[in-house]
Amino acid sequence: MVGETLRNLLMIAWLLPLVGFAVEIFGGFWGSRQSRAAAWIAVGCIATGFVCSFSALMIWGNANHWSVLHKADHGSSHESHDGHQGEKGHEEHAPAGHEAPAEKHGAVSSESQYKLTALAAEEAATAHAAGPTVYSGTLYYLARFGSLDLSLDYYIDSLTLVMFTMVTFIATCIHLFAMGYMSEELTEEYVDHHAHLSNGHHVHRPGRFYRFFAFLSLFCFSMLGLVLAGNIFQVFIFWELVGICSFLLIGFYTERKSASNAANKAFIMNRVGDFGFLIGLMVIWTFFGTFRFGETVNGKGEVVQAGLFQLLQRDDTGNVIRDAENGEVSVGAADAAMNPGNARKTIPYFLLVVAGLGVFAGCVGKSAQFPLQTWLPDAMEGPTPVSALVHSATMVAAGVYLVGRFYPMFVQEVLLTIAYVGCITLFMAATIAVVATDIKKVLAYSTISQLGYMMLGLGVFGWGAGLFHLVTHAFFKSLMFLCSGSVIYGCHHEQEMPKMGGLWRKMPITAFTMLVGVIAISGLAIPGLISLSSVFAFSGFFSKDAVVATSLAFVKSNPSHFLLFLMPLLTAGITAFYMFRLWFYTFAGKPRDMHVYDHCHESPLIMTAPLLVLSVLAAFCAVGGEQGPLFLLITGDQPAHVSHGVAAVAGASTLTLPGHDAVHAVHAEAGTYALIAAASGTLIAWLLYGTTMVNVAEMKRQLSGLHGFLVNKWHFDELYDVLFMKPAHIIGKFCTWIDRTIFDGIIHGSARVMIAVSKWDRLFDESVVDGFVNLLGSSTFAVGRSLRVVQTGRLRQYVMFIVVGVVALFAILFTTFPG
Amino acid sequence: MLFTDLINSLITDTTQSIPRFGVELCLSATIVLMLLMRLSGLDRLIPACLTATVGALVATFLAYKQFDALHAKDAVVTTHIFTGLLVHDSFTVFFRGFLALFLLLTVALTSLTGIPDEEDSPDFYSLLFGATIGMMLMASANNLLMLFIGVEMTSVPSYAMVGFLKGRKVSSEAALKYVVYGAGAAGVMLYGISLVGGVLGTTDMSLLSQRLAEAAAGGSGGLKDPEVRTVALGTMLVMVGLAFKLSLVPFHFWCPDAFEGASAEVAGFLSVASKAGAFGLLVRFCLALSGAKGTESLMISFGLGLGFIACITTTFGNLAAYTQTNLKRLLAYSTIAHAGYMVMAVAALLVLKNSPQAATLTENINQSIEGLLYYLVVYLFMNLGAFAVIAIARNYTFSEEVDSFKGLISQSPTLCIVMLICMFSLVGMPPFGGFVGKLFIFASAFKAGEVHGFMYVVVAFGALNTVFSLVYYIRVLRTMFLEARPADARPVPVRLVSWESAFVVTLAVFVLLLGVLPHMMSQTANDAAQAIAQLPNP
Repeated sequence: MVGETLRNLLMIAWLLPLVGFAVEIFGGFWGSRQSRAAAWIAVGCIATGFVCSFSALMIWGNANHWSVLHKADHGSSHESHDGHQGEKGHEEHAPAGHEAPAEKHGAVSSESQYKLTALAAEEAATAHAAGPTVYSGTLYYLARFGSLDLSLDYYIDSLTLVMFTMVTFIATCIHLFAMGYMSEELTEEYVDHHAHLSNGHHVHRPGRFYRFFAFLSLFCFSMLGLVLAGNIFQVFIFWELVGICSFLLIGFYTERKSASNAANKAFIMNRVGDFGFLIGLMVIWTFFGTFRFGETVNGKGEVVQAGLFQLLQRDDTGNVIRDAENGEVSVGAADAAMNPGNARKTIPYFLLVVAGLGVFAGCVGKSAQFPLQTWLPDAMEGPTPVSALVHSATMVAAGVYLVGRFYPMFVQEVLLTIAYVGCITLFMAATIAVVATDIKKVLAYSTISQLGYMMLGLGVFGWGAGLFHLVTHAFFKSLMFLCSGSVIYGCHHEQEMPKMGGLWRKMPITAFTMLVGVIAISGLAIPGLISLSSVFAFSGFFSKDAVVATSLAFVKSNPSHFLLFLMPLLTAGITAFYMFRLWFYTFAGKPRDMHVYDHCHESPLIMTAPLLVLSVLAAFCAVGGEQGPLFLLITGDQPAHVSHGVAAVAGASTLTLPGHDAVHAVHAEAGTYALIAAASGTLIAWLLYGTTMVNVAEMKRQLSGLHGFLVNKWHFDELYDVLFMKPAHIIGKFCTWIDRTIFDGIIHGSARVMIAVSKWDRLFDESVVDGFVNLLGSSTFAVGRSLRVVQTGRLRQYVMFIVVGVVALFAILFTTFPG
Repeated sequence: MLFTDLINSLITDTTQSIPRFGVELCLSATIVLMLLMRLSGLDRLIPACLTATVGALVATFLAYKQFDALHAKDAVVTTHIFTGLLVHDSFTVFFRGFLALFLLLTVALTSLTGIPDEEDSPDFYSLLFGATIGMMLMASANNLLMLFIGVEMTSVPSYAMVGFLKGRKVSSEAALKYVVYGAGAAGVMLYGISLVGGVLGTTDMSLLSQRLAEAAAGGSGGLKDPEVRTVALGTMLVMVGLAFKLSLVPFHFWCPDAFEGASAEVAGFLSVASKAGAFGLLVRFCLALSGAKGTESLMISFGLGLGFIACITTTFGNLAAYTQTNLKRLLAYSTIAHAGYMVMAVAALLVLKNSPQAATLTENINQSIEGLLYYLVVYLFMNLGAFAVIAIARNYTFSEEVDSFKGLISQSPTLCIVMLICMFSLVGMPPFGGFVGKLFIFASAFKAGEVHGFMYVVVAFGALNTVFSLVYYIRVLRTMFLEARPADARPVPVRLVSWESAFVVTLAVFVLLLGVLPHMMSQTANDAAQAIAQLPNP
């Protein structure tokens, strides 16, 4: 029952935006271009979706008596964090029912169709109520190819529910904001000042207000489908759908050359990653025979096929079980009876690595990780609400989400790759952000960098840490993007920070909420404000702290990978620096461009209200840190092997992955380092940009080499240009030459031959075939005409024909019948 | 036998027979009612067409109930009623239902087009109902005399209906030709009946094959045997009589003239209903003579003869239709051609039934009858549809020439689309019913080809004629769709929402349904076929 309720609620939340899209896309056809109806429909759909998602979260929690929130009380004690301090009325707090009535156990466990799949033994033992927390099943069968079922499944666990709630909530805020931001499109004739015709005039076109909201709705549908997906193939379907939505939204101002180029770039670079994704899918299908995460259950509640997560089993040390004979990895349980629908199989270890890397390649593309990171800054050509929703909070986080979702399938080598990719990305993007002057570009590089943190967190075995950072980042980054949108809107589409300054006087709400976001992302905190053992901080501190602590624990057990701790620590400082630089540049000091300053104004309520709501969440959503409700909710259904860590074993992997205890041991140490780094970054930023003590221009001149290197984004675009674009052009030219001279030659030649043949054929046709057909036609027609002669109309003749007919028939009978 | 016994047995027989004769009785009662209402002047209050519609509706319903009752039983039930003059089985009831439905549709069409004016309509409907009863008798006849009575009972009202448009010279002339020609054919048939009955000593058709086997026993079974020769002559003469009703070449001369003279409604009725009755009778007659030991080869050659006639008929009908300019006349030739197609099924039936392997071909024998019945049902809808379109358009243009249909698409697209569906179905194009019907018939004829190779030739002719027929149907469609409507042509404003449109569209929908969902009808047809094809061999 609970499973069905959850499924229905999430399906409503998922499908409503699709309905909205189907209605809104005809907005220009059904209604006027000055109507806001499309926006209201979109807001209604996504807000209803949020209500459904949140209800689902509540129902899910009540069904298992909020067992995940109590786990902390029974787990290892931890001095520096106390779970239930400083409850600030965060949404997921309110109904945290401590009084779990135990007598309802029977009713819950009768839900035999939904099997408890991923609860670790320890958690099962300590949880108050061991109700099921993971629900999976099939929504709709698409097709069956041999033994391959393609279907739309659902897989609902705590992560799914948190993602649903987060995505729908942020999307609702952003929809509302966009109603204000996009209001210039509410016109029959919109003048696009950034797009020029060949004669130098601006492009005039009808407004596309409804289309923007239709695309947003389609995106919400795709994103929620991705989160709900119960098999990896379905993930791929919605993966591509969010990709196409991203393409449509980046290229929303399609008349601008830069926008359409950026859309193409984003789409094509994602295809590179998806190529790897497909390879991963093929490996998985070949060796596992199913795409489903959870078990396939038939109508009677029997398990007919194990899911991917059950097939890849791990031993007590957390390592995958390898076949004793050939060293390949076992697929499915050793006991055949426990293994319905699958014969006992193995997969070579390197192919498991390939599958993991393949899927991760898709995530690299989607989450703009090194080396496919260059599309995301360009994607800022889209309208700012799009940047906030698609390119910071949700879609780009989908890569991180997938790594988290697919975590049980990743082995140590893959995780190490993920960690290093994240590490390189977070450092590189942060350095570029330091010199960027476009307000949105700074935020874009910041996003890349934070995504790198998430990947790093996941890679060093901080499953909860990475996803924790995903959720907190979604709140504060969408907040900051919306603030930047508010600034851009207020300054009449001026995006260059050097032309701003002192704006806090003109737009205090924007400045204040932006400051909240900046403090959150920088990870500033005040230790011991409320009690001696606790830290008062905004959300970013807690999640970044968790990532850094995990990486410190990882480095302590694997000293050779020390960079995985140093780089993020250093980058934490850089992050604080460039974020405060942005804030000082924009809002503090004296106005640099009086023209911009004079025309600047605060945005209307419909835009500032979402800012205020989001700023509250950005500040307090992570309250309690790793003992707080958000973290516990996210990690409620974490993969079984995460909490203990994975030990290095001889002959397999030399990596030791830290368990929870190892992380807790170094938590305070890491937190201190991170806070020092952030504080120093902030201080430097204040010195450079908040005061006039240091001449920044002089510094820039002194370090012009480094500065140029960073301004040119580490020359990645040039590198790709030389590595891929130029060769592609050369090959393209060569192919053109081959086409023009050889293939066209052959085709033209054959065409000439064909024409000659047809000429002869025509001659044959016209004289012989047509002649025959015409002869046939005219002769039958002549027969018909002559038959008319028989019908004389004379009665006497008719009656005589009866006699003639009878006699003739009789004659025929007697002459033809043999005896 | 004492006289009282005879009287008693007659009373028993009649009381048992009357419920099984309910459909015919209902129609008769309607006739009487209509005439009485006219005498009392009631018909001014309640139009005759309403009475006729109700009567036809009740008759259709009764026939449906009868079929249902027979269908409910597992075994094939054959009851002889009225001392063996008629036979009551699924085949009979199928035709009763078919004819009653067709009667209903015809009444509906005539009341829409108003062809009998209010004064004449009781007379017209009486004739129509009387003819229908005759057709039902034809389909259920179990006695050679009933055969003759059925044919005459159908023919005489038909003569009157052809000449019903009083004061039109063409109409009267056509009726006269029809009467004289019909009388000649009736004479020939009566002569044949007397020969058959005389030689075999019975007119009971269920005894014919047994008696024929006895007559052929000892002799060669061929034409050298005088008794068999006489029976063969008689059989052929009876068939000539039926061939007149079916307008098979060379006994078709009445058909184009009569159709041209009659109104389109009457022509539509005659083209379908009287043919249906005649086919029912032909199948019964052929089966009655089939399977007699010793005369199998003779009967096969009769079957081949029918096949030969069928080839000639279709070819003639199609070719002669080429140059027609009057639509009714064109459709008259088309009717001739279609009768040819349907006779192919009877030919296949005769060949299969009398083949040495008949016992193993039960299924195919059933299928040949099933194909014929299916084709008849499809033919009902498509041919009536075509005639209905002509009748409706005539009410506006006062013309039935092909030219008066020029560019009709611009004024009444509904009529044109229906005509298109009907004509494509007549040609035999999928997905319309005509295709499925032709497929059934050609399939059974092809199967009969395994018994005698000539049947392959028949199939080839059938296929070839399908191509021939394309020409003149398409010509009509081209006139309707592609040519411009002349400025001086009378407008035909038939709107989509009107009774006329509803009527023709209903017919077209059935044509389409029969093509798309053959199972709807073929199972029923198969039931009826089983009832008759499984008569025990002597």
